[in-house]
Amino acid sequence: MALDTTGATETLLSVRGLGVAAGDKPILTDISFDLAPCSILSVIGESGSGKTVLARALASWLSAPLRVTGGEIRFRGRDLVADPGHARSLAGREIAYVGGNPAGALDPTMTVGAQLVEKLRAVRPDIPAAEARAKAIRLLEAVHIPSAARRFHEYPFQYSGGMMQRAMIVDALISDPALLIADNITQPLDVTVAAQILKLMRELNHDFSTAILFICSSLPVACDASDEVMVLHEGRVVERQTPAALVARPGHSYTRELIAELPTLWQGGETGAGREIDRNRRAIMSVRGLAKAYEVRARGQAGVSRVQAVRNVDFDVFPGDNFGVVGESGCGKSSLMRLLTGLERPDAGSVFFEGENVAAASPKRLRALRRKFQLVLQDPYGCLPPQSPIGAILEEPLKIHRIGSAAERRDRARAVMAEVGLSDSLYRALPTGLSAGQRQRLNVARAMILEPRLLIMDETLSALDQTEQGKLLDLFDKLQAQHGFTYIFISHDLTMVRQVCSRIAVMYLGETVEVAPNERLFFDPGHPYSRALLSAAPTLEERRYRPEDCLLEGEPPSPIDLPPGCAFASRCPQAFDRCRAENPALRARGDHALAACFLNPDPDIALHETATETPHA
Amino acid sequence: MFILRFLARRLGQGAIIIFLVSALIFTLLRVVPGDPVRLMVGGMAPDTLVEEIAAEMGLRDPIHVQFGRYMGKVLQGDLGESFVRPASGAAVGGASFDDSTRGERAKVLDLIAETAPMTLQLAVLAMVFALMIGVPIGVWGGLYPGRLPDRLALYTSSLFVSLPNFWLGIVLALLLSVKLNLLPAIGYRGFSYTILPALVLAVEIAPFIIRTLTVSVAGVMGQSFIDIAKVRGLSRNQIVFRHALKNSAVPLLNLLGVQFSMLLGGVLVIEFIFDYPGLGLLTINAVMQRDFPLIQGIAIVTAAVFVLINIAVDLLATAIDPRLDY
Repeated sequence: MALDTTGATETLLSVRGLGVAAGDKPILTDISFDLAPCSILSVIGESGSGKTVLARALASWLSAPLRVTGGEIRFRGRDLVADPGHARSLAGREIAYVGGNPAGALDPTMTVGAQLVEKLRAVRPDIPAAEARAKAIRLLEAVHIPSAARRFHEYPFQYSGGMMQRAMIVDALISDPALLIADNITQPLDVTVAAQILKLMRELNHDFSTAILFICSSLPVACDASDEVMVLHEGRVVERQTPAALVARPGHSYTRELIAELPTLWQGGETGAGREIDRNRRAIMSVRGLAKAYEVRARGQAGVSRVQAVRNVDFDVFPGDNFGVVGESGCGKSSLMRLLTGLERPDAGSVFFEGENVAAASPKRLRALRRKFQLVLQDPYGCLPPQSPIGAILEEPLKIHRIGSAAERRDRARAVMAEVGLSDSLYRALPTGLSAGQRQRLNVARAMILEPRLLIMDETLSALDQTEQGKLLDLFDKLQAQHGFTYIFISHDLTMVRQVCSRIAVMYLGETVEVAPNERLFFDPGHPYSRALLSAAPTLEERRYRPEDCLLEGEPPSPIDLPPGCAFASRCPQAFDRCRAENPALRARGDHALAACFLNPDPDIALHETATETPHA
Repeated sequence: MFILRFLARRLGQGAIIIFLVSALIFTLLRVVPGDPVRLMVGGMAPDTLVEEIAAEMGLRDPIHVQFGRYMGKVLQGDLGESFVRPASGAAVGGASFDDSTRGERAKVLDLIAETAPMTLQLAVLAMVFALMIGVPIGVWGGLYPGRLPDRLALYTSSLFVSLPNFWLGIVLALLLSVKLNLLPAIGYRGFSYTILPALVLAVEIAPFIIRTLTVSVAGVMGQSFIDIAKVRGLSRNQIVFRHALKNSAVPLLNLLGVQFSMLLGGVLVIEFIFDYPGLGLLTINAVMQRDFPLIQGIAIVTAAVFVLINIAVDLLATAIDPRLDY
């Protein structure tokens, strides 16, 4: 099975007329393509276009009701469809697969290292255990897992998402496969980590001469990653070109649409920057020095550790604003949401809503205040009671706040349903049959039925696809024009924030490191982390910031043992001694922009000699 | 380090539990009707004698004083003496209030130490039988949820659950010992006397094992690391025996801990039916004879066993699944 017997110029994988159906419904029709050894081919398409089914078909991993209806998959000349036994013998050895859910991909009760060795010895029993162990550690080092020899003995739950995905790549590559099928591997990762994984994948392709079939749903990522891009639409291959040619001269109408729909960061298009907000009025929500730590019991240690989920958060939201809070997972966005809505009390600092401190309000007062600010959550499935009819779900907030008679409540519910675009016939239906988009509409309706002034959207759109996101954003716009809502969008998606938000706070490890108007943040960011985020954002545009200039290799430090000084110093290419000793506070940069970085000129020093530092609580 | 801290904490908690159990049992025994002294000296004895003996034994002191005295001895490893059982053997009581042997009553600790190994033997054997029945059926059912093996598992456990143990005990005794003469049934004169009661107990426990295993194996088999193991190149046997079974073992372990504790606490009905000289039979007799010290002793020992088994189960569970952190 050595590589050189077949010759490097021959086709490695050749698919001809492949069809896959779920029962009688065709999923893939007449798929034909070739893959040369050592090349990277991206497969792109929207959800439901059959990408994952293609990946599974190639890995001989279709389960009922999916089945191959015709065609052939030739791997080094032998048809895998006709010879399932041969296909099984290749699985994990010559054809490796990495999926998009690294968190559940390994047995939680065994160490990562033991499972890597187990896998290698399962597909190549001739390799002795010691050699397998050495190889696993070598590969863990190759994918930049820090202190690989120690990490080898750790359990999957001790790995972060990004590290786990690296470990799964090691798991796939450990048997020296000729073909790696990477199915949405960057999907669950943060943009900065995803950028590192992509870089790693290209290096591995180069070093290990593995051909890669890279399946993904984001055109910019696909173009970034590969030699060629194949577009899948409704189960058919509609075109295949090099990334540059595809973007410049898309051949199929679907590809053209895809490129046209793609939101941009810098090249004009719709942005939330245009709106005029009077920032001299009283802020509707004003957050000062907010901090919250959670106590966790560390394994194998005495006492408890404090996870500093939220540390120094400062910002103002003005009436009519679309305020964005962006940051990667674990930066404290959701903890912040819980503090803003009074679900939890902060350890320090205050949250003023129309001049009243939510953080110190009595439970009774808080309930009354909640009428005026409402929350819409991320998960469209988990946050609706499955056994209640839609009408009852909508009327519940009114009942809680004792508003109106039963008839009035019913009329109100029907009116709100019409406003968010849910058909009246759904009034008595259970939410079970609703799509994710409809569910989020229902969630918005439930939040706005109390006629609040402020709506807090915690990743409300991130479970929806591009098209559905656009529709909901239009709805938000319409509702804002009609009811004068103020929105706070908590999100990890820079392009979405660029499109809709007027003012944006960037969070890193529990702190707001930058608060700036939309244009300023994207064209003149005041914090190196903001630049790193922008450099990693998936886009087809010419980048204003290059990832290699903005971000050092590595992952964020743990919020349990925060280093002294600036939390970003460990990944910041511009960090200097002061950054490691002292934590910079937010400082004004003019025009309502603030950033917490020593590289910005200090206005306080310039104006008053006495005020050198304004430390936050 | 982790283990030491864990043991210290759990043993401390255990001590509190045992103390509370003792206090509860002690108080309840003294408020329920029935004077043990009257039972000891017999119905014919004069009231003055009853009072005299009661005072001599400290039974007329306030309850908290009695309890303090009792716990002080327990801490020194002395569970007291039985009210009614002489050191020599069979229970006394009835008319012999002036019997001189009353002075040499049996030590509670000795009584428990004699019977506990019998119960341990019965419990272990019952557990082995139950696992032999339950594990194959349960795992098989869990591997094919909704299909024939799963239904078979369900039918078997329903059938076993609906057999009353006293009925099954009598029927098996009739069948296996009386008709077929394969196994001895009544009393104890060797290991073979344990088999029949253990079998009856196993039938009682097996449905729980089957049910727990089908559910947990089916749950684990549906998880993504099992699904993806196939495409990683692992064989079916590796997937099932190395990964699926290990991951579904924790719920089973918890169940076995509880069941085993209950078995060790004495299986009243079964030991009574088969006249098996274990803790259960001892308990029944102690209750019937209002033998306070013996009941208390059994309760304390049982509570301690419960605590220890739970600690062992949790330690084992952490060894199997390191995410669990007790």
